[in-house]
Amino acid sequence: MDTASLQNFLGLVVIFAPLLLLLLLGLPALFAVKLNEQSVAHLTKLLVSLGLIANLGILGTMLATGTRDIEIEAGQLASITPEHFHFHLKFEFDRLSVPMSLLSYVLCGTIGAFANVYLHRDQGYRRFFILFAMFLLGMVFASLAGTIETLFVGWELVGLSSALLVAYFHDRPAPVRNGLRIWAVYRIADAAFLVAAVALHHLTGEGDFAKLMGQDHWPTGHVELTSNEALFVGSLLLLAAAGKSALVPFSGWLPRAMEGPTPSSAVFYGALSVHLGAFLLLRVSPLLEASFILSAMVVALGLTTALYASWTSSVQTDVKSALAMASLTQVGIIVAEIGLGFHYLALIHIVGHACMRSLQLLRAPTLLRDYRALENAIGSRLDLAPPRVFQGWSSAGQLKAYRFFMERGYLDALLDSMIVHPFRRCFGQFDRWERAWTDWLSGKQSRESETIVPHVEPAEDLV
Amino acid sequence: MVDAPGMSAGRPAGHSSGSTVEAAIGQAIEHASHWLPAQGPIAVFVHHNTLHALEEHTFSEAARLGLGIFGAQPYFTEGRYRQELKNGRIRASDLEFVLKDDLGQQATVNVLGTKSRYDLRLAMLLSPMRSGPSAELSWLVAETDALRTFRSEVSPANAAGMVEATQRMVMRDYRNPTALEDERTGQVLSSLLKDFGVARIESWSQQDWQSFTLHFMWRLCQRGARVAGKPKPQFVQYQRPRDIAVQAGIGDPDLLTHDLLVRYASAFLDQGFASWPLPDRDAGFYCSFLKLFSVPSTLATGWLQRLESIVAQEASLGLSPRASIQRSLEDAGISANEVDAFIERTLLALPGWGGMMWQMETNAAWSIRPAPPGSLEQFLAVRLLIDRAALAEVAHAVTGNRDSVFEYVKQLRRWQPSTAGDWGVQRAFTLFQVAQLMNWEPAMLAELENQQWQHLTAEVEAFSALERRRVFQLAFEHRYATSALDALIARATEGTSAVVEPKYQVMCCLDDREESFRRHLEEIEPKIETFGAAGFYSVAMYFRGVADAHYIPLCPVVIKPKHYVAETTSLTFLDAERRRAGTRRVIGRASHSVHVGSRGLVGGVVTAVLGSIASIPMVARVLFPWLTARIRTHFGRFVQPPAVTQLHLERQTPEPGQEFEQLGFSLDEMVAIVERLLTDTGLLKFSPLVLVIGHGSSSLNNPHESAYNCGACGGGRGGPNARALAQMANDPRVRSRLKERGLTIPDATVFLGAYHNTCDDNITYLDLDRLTPAQAITFSALRELIDEARQRNAHERVRRFESAPLSLTPREALKHVEARAEDLAQARPEYNHATNAMCMVGRRSRPRGLYLDRRCFLTSYDPTIDDANWTILNRILQAVIPVCAGISLEYYFSCVDPVGYGCGSKLPHNITSLLGVMEGAASDLRPGLSAQMTEIHEPLRLLFVIETQPEAILSIMQRNPNIGTLIRNEWVQVATLDPHSQEMHIYRHGQFEAYRPQSTQLPQVASSIDWYRGWRDHLGFARITG
Repeated sequence: MDTASLQNFLGLVVIFAPLLLLLLLGLPALFAVKLNEQSVAHLTKLLVSLGLIANLGILGTMLATGTRDIEIEAGQLASITPEHFHFHLKFEFDRLSVPMSLLSYVLCGTIGAFANVYLHRDQGYRRFFILFAMFLLGMVFASLAGTIETLFVGWELVGLSSALLVAYFHDRPAPVRNGLRIWAVYRIADAAFLVAAVALHHLTGEGDFAKLMGQDHWPTGHVELTSNEALFVGSLLLLAAAGKSALVPFSGWLPRAMEGPTPSSAVFYGALSVHLGAFLLLRVSPLLEASFILSAMVVALGLTTALYASWTSSVQTDVKSALAMASLTQVGIIVAEIGLGFHYLALIHIVGHACMRSLQLLRAPTLLRDYRALENAIGSRLDLAPPRVFQGWSSAGQLKAYRFFMERGYLDALLDSMIVHPFRRCFGQFDRWERAWTDWLSGKQSRESETIVPHVEPAEDLV
Repeated sequence: MVDAPGMSAGRPAGHSSGSTVEAAIGQAIEHASHWLPAQGPIAVFVHHNTLHALEEHTFSEAARLGLGIFGAQPYFTEGRYRQELKNGRIRASDLEFVLKDDLGQQATVNVLGTKSRYDLRLAMLLSPMRSGPSAELSWLVAETDALRTFRSEVSPANAAGMVEATQRMVMRDYRNPTALEDERTGQVLSSLLKDFGVARIESWSQQDWQSFTLHFMWRLCQRGARVAGKPKPQFVQYQRPRDIAVQAGIGDPDLLTHDLLVRYASAFLDQGFASWPLPDRDAGFYCSFLKLFSVPSTLATGWLQRLESIVAQEASLGLSPRASIQRSLEDAGISANEVDAFIERTLLALPGWGGMMWQMETNAAWSIRPAPPGSLEQFLAVRLLIDRAALAEVAHAVTGNRDSVFEYVKQLRRWQPSTAGDWGVQRAFTLFQVAQLMNWEPAMLAELENQQWQHLTAEVEAFSALERRRVFQLAFEHRYATSALDALIARATEGTSAVVEPKYQVMCCLDDREESFRRHLEEIEPKIETFGAAGFYSVAMYFRGVADAHYIPLCPVVIKPKHYVAETTSLTFLDAERRRAGTRRVIGRASHSVHVGSRGLVGGVVTAVLGSIASIPMVARVLFPWLTARIRTHFGRFVQPPAVTQLHLERQTPEPGQEFEQLGFSLDEMVAIVERLLTDTGLLKFSPLVLVIGHGSSSLNNPHESAYNCGACGGGRGGPNARALAQMANDPRVRSRLKERGLTIPDATVFLGAYHNTCDDNITYLDLDRLTPAQAITFSALRELIDEARQRNAHERVRRFESAPLSLTPREALKHVEARAEDLAQARPEYNHATNAMCMVGRRSRPRGLYLDRRCFLTSYDPTIDDANWTILNRILQAVIPVCAGISLEYYFSCVDPVGYGCGSKLPHNITSLLGVMEGAASDLRPGLSAQMTEIHEPLRLLFVIETQPEAILSIMQRNPNIGTLIRNEWVQVATLDPHSQEMHIYRHGQFEAYRPQSTQLPQVASSIDWYRGWRDHLGFARITG
């Protein structure tokens, strides 16, 4: 076997191991076959290790042979030539995607091992691992995507599994409500992404990153778009990235994501999926360079988010929200780095930050013990103070600033009043028109289902 | 739904004189505060009765009241009890016994036909009564064969009898049209006959007749259910305006309120987690809130804007918190006679935070930032302010007008849900099932007058699901108590097995987890004598370890210690320790900066860029917890304080205090402590070595870690107490004083302190350097036995962990528990008190050799040396009964309703304000025990077996009102074992009755392992012959 076909084979293993895992865990569930905890754990361990080893193998052969780029064709999912419509599944192993997919494998593998113990005997054990497989598949697809539409597939899988993992405890209302909110924010990001992808196809005839960015290897690409075109597509992608990475003004969803089982699902948002937006920007970085305004926007958004999140983090009183906001601070800085063109730094930053934050989230429940240990070592209580910037402010100013960050910058309220309420009002109006129309057509009240009261009686007689 | 009381008649609260209303508000808050959970900061977890506030009621009454007040279930579901019935943890004979006992004279009351109340209730217990939403029942009747075949419990003979009687009745009496005109049954029957095709009646098959009978029965029951009148609701719950809004389907204002209130309350109570503390916290909860929220912020939109204007208005009025509450009540249209109920329901809408506010206000002077007095009242005032804005917002969505909230709520109050009146099907279906079980043929039911139906329905409904579950619980407890008392009598019949001239003596905490450890030690070396005492060993103190920053109390919470004891480095190592302390401080400050810095801006970048290195320890810890822990401990040694330290135990000044000379106890106090412990436990004849073992537990990623520690040390670790006691008892001056008082400790005897980590079964020995060479030889012999016992103990423990294979050897089992304690992912480091069921107070020689399955607290007490007033027993029980009952009842309630009384699943827990756990990012604080802690628990009220005469207990109940209340109101069960015979008495219905054993057989096995090996579930009693 020559190197190229070996690399090709390894690449396929990297991509399809999580897919196989998802099928093996998901299909039995569809047919109401209950796998026991041990077989779920074994399957996960086997396939994740397999993917990880293949990924390391690719890295090894790339380093050994000096290859900088390996492309794997998975074919056209759809292709309608006259209309220039195609959905091209293609994967690419380069200096950006290999570290990213390795990171996904290492962190997901660790979390898998962790969750196997942590969720032992929990009712949702199997469901968790199905979503886990879907999440890993999404991360791997997104990391290795060679075309914008492949990236979109991974992006969607990550979004869906994340929202469902937030709503993991679906017998309580709060997780479900927060899962839904996250899903709604993701949809905004997805819509922007989709429009960007279509626009890109329209402008260049395809969504292939390699062709889009010219023949150079990442990160030294060059796009064949005018600065205005780049600004248009780039702004849409920036909006998509902002939604996915919880940048301002979408930051409100990140603390809400902490509803899932500690710390396993928290690690997904704190460490992996929150970096996906930054990764998208990194992937299309040549596009950013084509427009100065776009780069400036990216830097500004990154820095705003970083400052906002770091100060918000300092007023949080619960460990998970504080870590979520701390995570966001770094994501903001990473985004700014990307805008400034420090691509390798941003990549190192992503990898390092994801690892460190995962460790912190994993041991978040040890907080009380850690604090005691710290106090014992230092020999006194730990001291507290507002962030340095605010220390010079008047007390009224500090009060105002404190409230601003305690309310998390009013961002959720802002989204509600700017997007949610107008949206609901608009569709509420459509609904009223439709009802009036159907009532008139049927000559009586046309919606019988609306008068039925939902059941409130408990399922079992308890009193 | 029930109309709020005094709706039309009530005057708005504000119109009566202000001061009386304000006083009423104060009383209402005081009253409601009793219902709030009494758990303090989680780092000092103290087990207590979840329903402590209802202790003046009997257990079953409190259970019922609790259901109304907290909406939490006091018993398992019927389905779960039936499962236990199937598994043999409850037997039918237990049900029969407790039912007869429960009914007493009323058992024979006739219900209908030949059936008595006892028959009816027993049938309803033994056969599951199907119930459910009325829609489900209607479906069941229409779509299943519920009306075609009899329930499976009905015997074929009875079924045939009922069919035959119906057939005879129809054929004889109702074949003529006039009879069918009879208004009661005739109409029912004629329509039914038409449905079944009366023309071919003579050729109906047996199957048709059975179906006809059941249909007839069903329609009669339907009619009966109707004529019996509307049922009275069991619980009439007061409805807050919010509840009405939710039921009317317009939205939940509490979502808005709680989101804000949780954030603000946690910032106010924060014990130092947020690096930016709440400004103006000292102004108090209310004023601080007014300051924070009256500043207009340009960005606030929607309801926050409205809240700002409400707050600004309130601030300009300069009202006191209570006056503000009064204004909020007026605003919501709460009349004077509703105040109590309104405030109770409002505070119980967010009980965790309200409870913590109250605890921090009344019970946490020791904490870094206690809440000032009046905080709960201010919490309510703030909450009601937010409620005003939230309710307006929700109403706005419907009315489009924010200002008419009050009017709108008034309208809502007149609104009635349309589902009222669905009771008919449910009641009819219950009657229908009962009629089949009771063999009441339709012919008999057809003859019933309306009044008789009323009587019958009342009889059936009196044995509601709640009542049935109560009886099931009694039977559950009866099964365990019977087997326990039988085993004890069988064991007592053999006579005592006191150890003559023991080689070693080992004293442990009375904790149920030490039962197996002691048993294994006794099995390994029959010449070992073991003792149990409350694990603070009579040394109540504030203690500070050599590497600790603060003093922590080590004694039961009921005692407030006066003495301070510090651990100091021995002079030889002083320099080394100074260096190491310096290193520790440097490392501590560094890791604190990393900890805080990694969440900040600049520090975050540095740590994050270097963060990939963090993946190495992370992956290692998750995949190889045991190995990683070893490596960490190894490197930790370089900064640990030197192993040789001493306790600063003796005081120089007359008064104890925190100053250096004030640390410790006076000689007299030491003598009293040692004498008290030795006489309490009856340890008066000494072996050469007395090992005193304190205990605690260490586990990772466990916010509830403190709950696993020694309860008698107030949630702390009992090592220092054991060490202090050993040092006192070794002091020659103490011994000579004791000798003067008639208690001689031979010179050859040495006391040694130790610490048992119940999570990894490790034992640390303290002050070994003080042993003489001869004593050291004795010690090493004992140490070998203890190491063997540790392995066996771990082995017996791991059988309960599903993730540990049953095939582990004792050595592997020890390694398994060691890894568990160090595993970040482990949600069940140990099972803590999850198996507690019994508490024995008496000489160890009585039950020694009995397999108690780690389910029994063991307290040593020698009745033969007590005086006529039972002075010793009295002081033992003063601590043992409340503490053990607290543990038992907290487990009980958290187990029967893990969500309502416990803190739910551990998996989504999120530590907040360093005070407690929330679920997710913003929820109520969750007190209680987690589902993972209680999953193997059998909720049983603790069975005390005390070696004494019944008169002693009666006298102690009289002398200690709280013990009297606990026993009389059946929060615990009590039995006595006669000190000189095997006679037992059990406390029932307010008096002691002689207990007659049901079985005298006791399985005999050679060793504990022969009995438990291969089993995961609870095990019965057995005699270890060894």
